[in-house]
Amino acid sequence: MSEQTQSITIKERVQNFIEDFGLPRLIITGFLILLLIIAPFVGADLPTQISNIINRFSWNGILVLAMVPMVHSGCGLNFGLPLGIISGLLGATLSIELGFTGPFSFVMAALLATPFALVFGSVYGWLLNKIKGGEMMIATYVGFSSVSLMCMMWLLLPYHSPNMVWGMAGKGLRTTISLEGYYTQALANILQINIGNLSIPTGAILFFAILAFAMWAFLHTKTGTAMTAVGSNPDFARSAGINVDRIRLISVVMSTWLAAIGILVYEQGFGFVQLYMAPFYMALPAVSAILIGGATVNKATITNVIVGTILFQGIVTMTPTVMNNMIHLDMSEVIRIVVSNGMILYALTRKTEGTK
Amino acid sequence: MKIKKRDKATWIVRGVTLLIVIAIAVLMFIIGRGHTIYFDNKPFESAGDKIEAPYKVEVLVGGEKVARLKEGERGMVETMGQSFDMQLVITKEKNGKSSKVKVSLPIPYNMDGVVINLPAMLAGKGPEDYMTEFVPTPSSAELEDEEVVTDETEGLMDFGDE
Amino acid sequence: MKKTSIRDLVTRFSVPLMFVLICAVCAPISGLSPTYLINEIVTRMGRNAFLILSLLIPIMAGMGLNFSMTLGAMAGEIGLILVCDWQIVGIPGMILAMIISVPISALLGLFCGKVLNMAKGREMITSYIISFFINGIYQLVVLYMMGPIIPIKHGSIKLPRGYGIRNTVSLLSMRQKLDNLIPLNIAGIKIPVATFIVVFILCIVIVRFRKTKLGQDMRAVGQDMEVARDAGIDVERTRIISMILSTVFAGIGMIIYLQNMGNIATYSSHSQIGMFCIAALLVGGASVDKASIGNVFLGIILFHTMFIVAPKAGTVITGDSMIGEYFRVFVSYAVITVALIMYETGKRRAKSREGQMLAQQQEVSDED
Repeated sequence: MSEQTQSITIKERVQNFIEDFGLPRLIITGFLILLLIIAPFVGADLPTQISNIINRFSWNGILVLAMVPMVHSGCGLNFGLPLGIISGLLGATLSIELGFTGPFSFVMAALLATPFALVFGSVYGWLLNKIKGGEMMIATYVGFSSVSLMCMMWLLLPYHSPNMVWGMAGKGLRTTISLEGYYTQALANILQINIGNLSIPTGAILFFAILAFAMWAFLHTKTGTAMTAVGSNPDFARSAGINVDRIRLISVVMSTWLAAIGILVYEQGFGFVQLYMAPFYMALPAVSAILIGGATVNKATITNVIVGTILFQGIVTMTPTVMNNMIHLDMSEVIRIVVSNGMILYALTRKTEGTK
Repeated sequence: MKIKKRDKATWIVRGVTLLIVIAIAVLMFIIGRGHTIYFDNKPFESAGDKIEAPYKVEVLVGGEKVARLKEGERGMVETMGQSFDMQLVITKEKNGKSSKVKVSLPIPYNMDGVVINLPAMLAGKGPEDYMTEFVPTPSSAELEDEEVVTDETEGLMDFGDE
Repeated sequence: MKKTSIRDLVTRFSVPLMFVLICAVCAPISGLSPTYLINEIVTRMGRNAFLILSLLIPIMAGMGLNFSMTLGAMAGEIGLILVCDWQIVGIPGMILAMIISVPISALLGLFCGKVLNMAKGREMITSYIISFFINGIYQLVVLYMMGPIIPIKHGSIKLPRGYGIRNTVSLLSMRQKLDNLIPLNIAGIKIPVATFIVVFILCIVIVRFRKTKLGQDMRAVGQDMEVARDAGIDVERTRIISMILSTVFAGIGMIIYLQNMGNIATYSSHSQIGMFCIAALLVGGASVDKASIGNVFLGIILFHTMFIVAPKAGTVITGDSMIGEYFRVFVSYAVITVALIMYETGKRRAKSREGQMLAQQQEVSDED
């Protein structure tokens, strides 16, 4: 009974975007609230859980934010996120290889990743301009191809730093590289707040906030509004004198760069660089997160990003603990797969103009 | 009216097809049931009744020799279907003459593994005497809990390789 | 006119040609004997042909590459797991597994078809996500429901904790039973005659099917959905049927595939099957909207030659066995990427040509 009243008050609080929330999102929100209510009763520590969610939000937020520009310009959901992630990984490994340490290596990684992201993003954007209408499928496979190409490269590129290469062979990068001594928690430690079991990585959240604000501001500049115009009605935009291809290219480059920075932020939280096959399916959680937040294939806002990331990461972190404590049956993996892919399916089957 | 008739005909065809498929499935259940047969060439004892085991028994299934059992030995073969045919070449004593026997046995459906005591069977005992269910003791590897790997990137590297 | 046809020919066969080149370079370097190579390819032909053939029908219906053939593969695996537990062995076991898989496949195909009807124009990405989605459901069934809800008796299949299926299920009792049903050995090359007969039957079914009313409808839908609808064809129904057929065939194909392999990797056997079947088909010269039986067989030969030869050649050249492994994965994805790009650019070109023609016609009619 108490659960019901609770969900009603929540419902009232989010009344304004419940209209375009849709049933699946409502169910997911309800599910997360249910988890939060159950958690204390089954012996899970609520402050720990909440700081887990906040932490995971700070790791993943920017990767989800990377979806926004391409959705705005009508390129659809960026299933080619791994391409940007690879730029980030190149920056990270180069920064370590060149001997930078401590939090400064994070700055260098971001700087070194930028040229890669710009180049890869431009090529990727040029390609997507050639195949308007089929972006999402091709993006997926561009991501896969680049990840598998880089698998070879991680072995072949002349990296030498003993912290990264296989000890025995003396060459070829390891599958996971520890960031201890480099930029682990580089952002999270800035102004970190600790109250009992609750800890908030203020720096990482601030970093996300800055980028999110920059994105919001950009979308209100002339180029930004042009981007929205291109996304909502390309023919109209063209007749208004907007260079559609150029705008789309900018959006793709932005998305790729954000993905590169996003993976670096993820790594500073996680504490490890994961190479080889790890970036393979990294697009899917980001895609489903923004969709859970209320975005559609051709409409996404910063609010969608924030809400979606909290909901998605909330479910991902809460279900294992709650389920394990409650019924000693960890079905969280199955729930994650069904929820995230179900959400993408739901979005793909919505009737939307644009993208066509 | 005509359409209705055709509809009826299609439904009959569908029904018949379904029945045939079910019939095939049932047939497969019967002819495809696999059993593991173990042959024991061991002396048989029950209620004061004692049957000596012969010196050597060779078991042939489908013309192929699957086991050559000295006294006290056990052999096995995997078989399919509800009846099991085999040929036994029995040598009672060392360097003695051998005799051939053809045997056809119905195998109980619910037993995965069946142990047949050959001496008892040859002495004409009933199946309830010479046939016992083989209960496998799970190996330690089988009892050990294994981590289930459901990683989506698993198997990306081997497309149809062993 | 002739010039464009030559150009079309070159673009159509550029992928197979590239593969012939890769194979021609890598084969001598790998140092594998021709007998071994031919043996392997014949085995893989038997193993994969049925699965790849199942992709043809949705292409015919204009639904592109069916990434959700994985659904059928999962249905086939469920059939095999159950049959294994019931201890039905050999060919009868395979037939029973197929009979079990068919209704499951059909249901999944129906679901898939319905969803794809709601996502016209982006069938491929949708079918790709469907395969992930249903994989979640599959895990729910196999990992949690098998044991308490669906009875599983044998400890060799079930996890010791009482529910869920082990990582690998052995199919020793039906391993290569179909392949060896009619043994034939020519010059040291083992030929799985019975498997080829089954594949041949499916080929005939597909060829015949194209000529039936339903097959014609499907091609019409594939050509142009609106025109087909105007001609009185139930477009939605036709598309759903094509998905159901494809899924059912994929399920049967998976059973043939796994009887050759001899065991099921419960949680990963199916996950990549769609990917490499599609890559093989594309390597054979098929495109997203056009594929023939010939493409299937050419594709298997070229793709699998590359697959066998590349890791060996990679090891010889670089001294690292992983390079070759990664190389072939990269090539598989690159092939699909290139094929998708060629299809989309081709579609755009056709569209703009159509638009120009339409504009011309309008001009002409305006003048009248």
